[in-house]
Amino acid sequence: MKTRVFALALMGSVLPAAAQENSDLNLIPGAVQDAPPPPTSVAGHGKYSLENALGWYSYRGSFAVSPGGSIPSRWANRTSLDGLDQWTLAPDLTFTASDRLSVSFANGIGFPNESVRNDIREAYLTYEAAPQTYLEAGRINVRYGVAYGYNPTDFFRARTSVAQSSADPSAQRLNRLGTVMIRGQHFFDGGAVELLYAPKLHSPVAMGTLAGPFDPKIDQTNGSDRALAAFSFELEQLSPQLLVYYEGGRTKFGLNLSRPIGAQVIAYASWSGGMAPNTAVDAITFGKRTRMLPPTAPVLPPTSLSRDFKNDLSAGATWTGEDKVTVTAEYNFRQAGFSQDDWHNWFANGVNPSLSSLMWFVRGYSSDLQQPMSRHQAFVRADWAEPFHIEHADVNAFVMTNLADGSSIGQFAVSYDLSDYWSLGAYAGASTGGKKSEWGSLRNAGSVLVQIARYF
Amino acid sequence: MKNLAIGFLVALFLFEGAKAAGPSGQEIIAAVDGARNPGQSFRVMDVLTEYVNGKPQASNQLVIFVRQNKTTKQYDNLVRYVLPVRDAGKMVLMNGSNMWFYDPSSKASVRISPQQRLLGQASNGDVATVNLAKDYTATLVGEEKLLDADRQNRDCYHLDLKAASDEAVYSHIEFWVEKGSYRQIKGKFYSDSGRLLKIAYYHKFTQMLGRMSPAETIVIDAVNQNLVTTMAVSDMQSRDVPDSWFQRDYLPRLKID
Repeated sequence: MKTRVFALALMGSVLPAAAQENSDLNLIPGAVQDAPPPPTSVAGHGKYSLENALGWYSYRGSFAVSPGGSIPSRWANRTSLDGLDQWTLAPDLTFTASDRLSVSFANGIGFPNESVRNDIREAYLTYEAAPQTYLEAGRINVRYGVAYGYNPTDFFRARTSVAQSSADPSAQRLNRLGTVMIRGQHFFDGGAVELLYAPKLHSPVAMGTLAGPFDPKIDQTNGSDRALAAFSFELEQLSPQLLVYYEGGRTKFGLNLSRPIGAQVIAYASWSGGMAPNTAVDAITFGKRTRMLPPTAPVLPPTSLSRDFKNDLSAGATWTGEDKVTVTAEYNFRQAGFSQDDWHNWFANGVNPSLSSLMWFVRGYSSDLQQPMSRHQAFVRADWAEPFHIEHADVNAFVMTNLADGSSIGQFAVSYDLSDYWSLGAYAGASTGGKKSEWGSLRNAGSVLVQIARYF
Repeated sequence: MKNLAIGFLVALFLFEGAKAAGPSGQEIIAAVDGARNPGQSFRVMDVLTEYVNGKPQASNQLVIFVRQNKTTKQYDNLVRYVLPVRDAGKMVLMNGSNMWFYDPSSKASVRISPQQRLLGQASNGDVATVNLAKDYTATLVGEEKLLDADRQNRDCYHLDLKAASDEAVYSHIEFWVEKGSYRQIKGKFYSDSGRLLKIAYYHKFTQMLGRMSPAETIVIDAVNQNLVTTMAVSDMQSRDVPDSWFQRDYLPRLKID
């Protein structure tokens, strides 16, 4: 017995690993040993793709406020050629370009003026004037903000939408027109300062104006003089970003904050504030300026005509679990947006056939600017990467809800990467709510799109 | 019975004596860091190949810029995706708890949590370049013989690491470290709830920037054991990586050459 105990004690210093530890080796495929050696150098690549999206649409048949016009096509097909690349012209000089050429087919769509659309998203030069100091000129897509549903400090989002499949606000931001500007940026340890100026190059044209297929749509992105200064720095893990934005006589201030809470949560807030009118006043003024509305058009629904300090705020948090599920919950406040009384007046005025188009004009204007119509809304987004252990698959959904009337708009999407070059996607969208609610009053009730993309 | 008790005490004495004579767990893990991590900032290429059910399915090519943070002594990473084309130009900044993901299509940087960092391929960098002694408290479990990835027997220290700072990505790690060379042979990485997430085998040790580093790491997904990822590093070059690069706004400016 004593001998056995001594033997055990001596083995204490060099014990064989449990058989289970070595059995882990059986999980390594034989193909790993046969794999070729990795390449010894690396070269940058542009990003090019060809995608086709086919969609079916359903529409509501009765309305509290008639949207007018004929019923749009119940199907549409879009084929897009997309490219993003960068070329080094000299050691300190690069050129970046990003473009999407789309051809769409649907009932009632004329070829080529209505079906062909080319979007020059970006085309700009970057010059590194000094170490960590950059000067840029051209059409640049700049984005500021940490929120997902609505970014109050995303000052260059207005009238920038590009044809695409997903209605997810985060996808909308992935794919939009840049603004022609000159921009300077300098980095220092722990922070950066930035100045940009985007000149007025064209008078803004009316919403819905049919541009030529290859029109660069400068009137959409450079319809007024704009300038911005941004200062980013580190403070208590908050990564603050301060902004001052000027557009056509209005100055806005902005602040972005984000901070990790533990290992699973990122909390964030984005605020902007400045003198501004209510949405209806802004929309009617724009309509008169672009002659979409007669000079005598009234401001409806009735609201204060004065400009006062208005706040926009988005605050939320993103949580990620161990099962690769990520959930974002966000509250959006837009002081210039419609209150419940404004909505009541919008529906009350809209029943008058002579005013319904004016009512929809106000909503169309807000949609074109990609800003919430309502004062209070909630945004929830969930993403599940590799659901059920399906590699290269992703499932996500979002819901945007008007907190006053409970109506919602949302989308469920699945995507699957067939290989390094092919991807499949499907999107099902719907809006819900009563006839006299923000989202339930829309003509569009639902949609289903399937998309295939080839990258090269 | 008396003999048994005496035998037990002697055995305990010998066992404790053997442990006391060798290095502590913390000394071993510090030696691992010293043997592996280059004492300078550098750029390296990393090719990740996924094997699903034993067959290669997808490949990612990344360029990673690494520097040691002067304050935290931890390694900060800037990861840029080169391939596949679908992900070309995407970037991940890992600077302690300050982590951002950048997509060139949107020109937008999104802040990510340490848990989100584990979702992408870039997270496999966690098992490659970390300052273990800084973020973990190591305990020597014992000494064991273990087969390495090439099925060679290695005399190893078996270490148990517990997170000692908020910066630690994993709450618990087990490591097997070869005696003498202080090379990592195997690692097991656990979540906060104690769930085994990854099993890593380190092999093909090669001279890189004056240190013997594993040229290939094999990562087994312990949750989905049909998924194995290899990380092959190459073209490691000494590179000045300024502090100013490690911030959200710099991500669009990062070049791989």
